[in-house]
Amino acid sequence: MFAIKSVLTISRREITRLRTRFTGRSSVVVLGILVICLVISYIIYHEAFVLSKGLYTVGVSPSGPVIADERFNVLTADPETGRTMLQNKTIDIYIDRDEAICTGDQRSQSAAGALKQYLEKQEVQRIASEYNTSQAFPLRVEINHLEGPASSPDMETHVSLSDILGLSETSTTTPPTPEPSGIPGDDLPTPSPQPGTSSTDAAVRQQLDDFESGNMLPKFKAEFVSDKEIIIPSLMNPPIPLAQVIMAFLYVVPILFVSVFFTSSFMEERTGRKLIILLSAPVTPLQIILGKILPYIGYSLIVIIAITLLLKGNVLLALAIFIPVMLFIMSIYLMVALTYRTFRDQTFFSVLAVGVITAYLVGPAMFTGVNDLSYISPLTLAVQMYRGESFGLTQYLLSTAPMYLIFLLALFVGRRIFNEEYLTRFRPLYAKFAEAVYLVINRNHLYISVFFLTLLLIPVVFMVQLSSIVIAFSLPFPFALGAMLMMSVIVEETAKSAGIAVLLNNNIGKSLKSILALSFVSALGFLLGEKLLLYLALFVITESMFTTAIFSTGLLVVPLIMHFICTSMVCLMTARFGTKWYPAAIIAGSVIHALYNLYIIGVIL
Amino acid sequence: MSGFLTLLKRELKSVTKEKTIMVAIIIQFFVASFSSVLLIGIMSFYDPESIGHSTQVRVDVGVVGNTDSPLLGFLKGKNLRVVSFYDVDDAEEAFRSGRVDTVVFIPESNNGVVDIKLVLPELDAMQTVILMLLQEPLERYENYLREINGVELRYKDLGGGPHTTYEFLYSLIIPILMLFPAFIAGSIVVDAIAEEFENKTFDTLQSAPVSVNGVFASKVLAAVIISALQCIMWAVLLRLNSLFIQNVGFVLLLSVIVAAFISIGAAIIALYFKDRERAQFTYSIVLVAAAGLSYFVDPSPFSLITRLATGDYYTSGYEVALYAIPLLIVGILCFTMSKKLLSTKS
Repeated sequence: MFAIKSVLTISRREITRLRTRFTGRSSVVVLGILVICLVISYIIYHEAFVLSKGLYTVGVSPSGPVIADERFNVLTADPETGRTMLQNKTIDIYIDRDEAICTGDQRSQSAAGALKQYLEKQEVQRIASEYNTSQAFPLRVEINHLEGPASSPDMETHVSLSDILGLSETSTTTPPTPEPSGIPGDDLPTPSPQPGTSSTDAAVRQQLDDFESGNMLPKFKAEFVSDKEIIIPSLMNPPIPLAQVIMAFLYVVPILFVSVFFTSSFMEERTGRKLIILLSAPVTPLQIILGKILPYIGYSLIVIIAITLLLKGNVLLALAIFIPVMLFIMSIYLMVALTYRTFRDQTFFSVLAVGVITAYLVGPAMFTGVNDLSYISPLTLAVQMYRGESFGLTQYLLSTAPMYLIFLLALFVGRRIFNEEYLTRFRPLYAKFAEAVYLVINRNHLYISVFFLTLLLIPVVFMVQLSSIVIAFSLPFPFALGAMLMMSVIVEETAKSAGIAVLLNNNIGKSLKSILALSFVSALGFLLGEKLLLYLALFVITESMFTTAIFSTGLLVVPLIMHFICTSMVCLMTARFGTKWYPAAIIAGSVIHALYNLYIIGVIL
Repeated sequence: MSGFLTLLKRELKSVTKEKTIMVAIIIQFFVASFSSVLLIGIMSFYDPESIGHSTQVRVDVGVVGNTDSPLLGFLKGKNLRVVSFYDVDDAEEAFRSGRVDTVVFIPESNNGVVDIKLVLPELDAMQTVILMLLQEPLERYENYLREINGVELRYKDLGGGPHTTYEFLYSLIIPILMLFPAFIAGSIVVDAIAEEFENKTFDTLQSAPVSVNGVFASKVLAAVIISALQCIMWAVLLRLNSLFIQNVGFVLLLSVIVAAFISIGAAIIALYFKDRERAQFTYSIVLVAAAGLSYFVDPSPFSLITRLATGDYYTSGYEVALYAIPLLIVGILCFTMSKKLLSTKS
């Protein structure tokens, strides 16, 4: 009871502090700017945002088409001048009647591509207005689903193909009769003088409206995609869930702002030594952290609920999806606030954190429905929610469990390192990290600590590896692959040996026996964490190839030996030559690890 | 003057010492690579042409119903194989056993309208690939049906290369790389000024042989120099990757002007609030608002960089020079207001 009370007291204090920050004139200024921001984004949203304004210059003959696209500057010129202009590069493309002339350079080629896309769209709109729907859009494709070979065989009771095709009553041995449509008795294939109607006309008109409004941005309603979707080939858009991803990201932006306030406040009190004063009061570090974070969690919850109501989504579902996201963001900012001393450091690491968080959340969500790996981001769940699709508990766990875990981990680490010396002493970054690791390890239970340290570092390793893939991607291909492999191996080796190296640096566990034992425990923790993550992923990703690869016994014992060898090597080298050589030891361990990986992939031997 | 130079050196040193600049570069590198990964990922997943080119995917299409339909001719292509079935049950059996990936039911034309039924497996990933591969043949069949219906479609056979990557690179990535250092510069200025207030070192500085404006100018200049260096680095790196920026001098000049403008604005904000927490927050939302407002200017800094970098014939240094005017205004504003802002309580 007392514990909760002190948490609440600290929270109340935090709220007052924040309120007194923005009073009087400054609150007016800030509110004014916020209102301006909202107005601007509203206007831009309704103006149909164009990024490449005036990028190309196109010459059009007097008889050519009208081009009303902000990407193009349009000049009228007769064919002869047009060709000269094209040669002088004063225009990128020249269009005369149905023919477009461009040069071979990249700019001209992409201008041609962009123009083609634009004119094709114009044509579809023209025929839509000039002809009736059946003439202009004569082909409609109804999408149906049936369990394929990948599904389990005990689904025999389900619908058959002839059910779907509406042929169950007719004989299936003869070529099927024309598909019955809208008006009974209207199934004669000869064109009638009256325009024909079809049951799919409504779907065509609906899609035509969407197409003409050109609005691929969010419709602020949960879009429901029914099972029987009708596709019109020329109106078909790639199923990029951009609109829904933007909707999902709308939640993340305010949460990021709220957490920046949290870090700032934490930092201010740290530099102002107010946190140290708090520590001398009868409260525990955990109570202080929880008390200070609670108001910001509250604000975020309000934001989540408000946005969901605004977008007419399901509040409970949105809370279930975005609470872990919020906790994840908060825990990253808690770590930023606890680790850095100077404002500039903090500013930059906040920006970096924003970048990484955005990448981790948005990237996978763009592939919702295309690749099941997209479930590593909870935004994928939000995208599905706003598409009116459902997802299962395993998907929910895969995307959110790491986030809950990271929050708990951050709280635990925060509690351990929350002492006067750590918070006030200025030291280089790596020393700060080492000190944090040292404080986290319980010296009475060395082995268990190291085991759990490595195990709990798995989500961090996972995220760093994902980011390194992104960074390596911009290198030329063979380098990219090598760099990616090396980076991920270095991250793994560092994660496994960090705890032990810190112990060695503090003169703990220096005997050969204990180094080997610690390395084994660490390797075991890493392997367990790694497999646990994969196991969770397997629930979602049904490809059987993975299953056999992971659970074949050889691949459980061999990696353990490999992890053990690499880690013990790194640690023994560190013990022998001193922590100064720790980076070199990691490189050495990583080389062996990388060679093993190459062998497994089948590149060498 | 020498006092000013000493101050400038001090500022530059404090930024480099904290390795801030390294982090700044990592951030930009991350942003740039992330966006290209996303773009290429999306392109290869959602663009039917690159699915065809970049993957060895082959889709077996089972056809039932009107197997004389011209659609069958359109369907035969590099990544597609057509299998005709006379019996629906055979088709179902082939689908369930995985011999065909999808089943198309083609009815006879009804008043020129064809209502095809497409049966897809329930696995999400495969569905998208099949639909993407089928889009082009279906469009060609659609145009064929339109012709029969007497609908004339123009501009069917325009040539032209891929344009998304080009547009993305020049109208998003390059402007971001050239302007991001400016955003960071503003943030550095806010921190540098707020730091002086919070450490109460302003009084010491005021006794130095430099004016108050000299102190601010040194901070702004240091931030601008750092942002200019980053822009130059990006220009060089892009060139190494054989992505060329035309009018490189003007592009760099513009990014320096923008960096100076933002830094001076940031200095005014920091002087007004005098503490980091509020100043940084206000700076970031003002930046968002200003970026939004610039959208309505033609050419906006963003699109001006795009046009310069693509070597647009109609854009030159004149537009860049125009941007010096707002910079001058905000500079004079800061110069005349600094003393007053410094003495007011906030």
